[in-house]
Amino acid sequence: MQRCPNCDAELESPLGCAACQRIFDPPEGLSPFELLGLPQAFALDEAHLRRRVLRLGRLVHPDFFGNAPAQERELAERNSARLNRAHELLADPVERANWFVTALGGPAENEQRSMPQAFLAEVLEWNELLEEARAAPAGSGLRERLEALASTLAAERARGLKSIAAHLAPLPERGSLLLRELRTQLNALRYVDRALSEIESLSLARASLR
Amino acid sequence: MAYSDKVIDHYNNPRNVGSFDKTKSNVGTGVVGAPECGDVMKLQIEVEGDRIVDAKFKTFGCGSAIASSSLATEWIKGKTLDEALSIQNTQIVEELSLPPVKIHCSVLAEDAIKAAIHDYKTKHGPGVRRQT
Repeated sequence: MQRCPNCDAELESPLGCAACQRIFDPPEGLSPFELLGLPQAFALDEAHLRRRVLRLGRLVHPDFFGNAPAQERELAERNSARLNRAHELLADPVERANWFVTALGGPAENEQRSMPQAFLAEVLEWNELLEEARAAPAGSGLRERLEALASTLAAERARGLKSIAAHLAPLPERGSLLLRELRTQLNALRYVDRALSEIESLSLARASLR
Repeated sequence: MAYSDKVIDHYNNPRNVGSFDKTKSNVGTGVVGAPECGDVMKLQIEVEGDRIVDAKFKTFGCGSAIASSSLATEWIKGKTLDEALSIQNTQIVEELSLPPVKIHCSVLAEDAIKAAIHDYKTKHGPGVRRQT
């Protein structure tokens, strides 16, 4: 644990010191975990993350630096932005997993495009059903099929996330083959999420017509 | 970002949209996807001898993905399998004037052609004599 160069209190985060309210300019390239002072692990207590972000958010909030020198004011703005970015990344398990796969030297999204044919054929079927639903008049029984698809997809998403979490604890070694498998699973989630959001927007459009 | 006239033409009048029965022995099916944007593309070929006599596609994606696959089916019709395999995504980029952010759509179309031919060849096996 680092200590505050100003008051020697233990630092929770390199963004600033809660004890003396001083803010710092952390070195570039720190991981989102390091910025928030959290252990670098996929499993994360969401309530703990939220509390930490709220506390740090207050510490670095530009409103509290209204009368400070311009340099410090700008640092507060930069640190708030850093905090927001790190929070967005860590709060979403897909983004979090994505971060680990990339940080451990795994393939990027578009470097590992190939998916099992059976899976892609499924994606095609979801899209065909969505297309049919878009063209069909209301009350033609497609709504039930869409709802069934949505719950299948939600279950598939939960299963996928569980499997990803299992592969990330303990963290795979740098460059491990497991990272390719993880990328494939994350890519599968992208297709699932896209289909889910299309079902949602279709249902919303239908609801607003009623 | 503006689409080129050729992309718009293929988007508004896609050629060869549809499906073949994928269980038929003279049909090869390739399904490919782009995880970045969720696009998915199915391209099918009907083969006689070693020549592609017909091709169909179905693409869920942006205008460039639809245009790329539509153009791909036009190009491979009448070609031999080897000729079709030699089609490069850069030729599609050039023909449709795709901007850099849409190059992956042409890659997808090239992959789909290769996947369909691979599927057809797998069905027939390396040593299997084709019957027309």
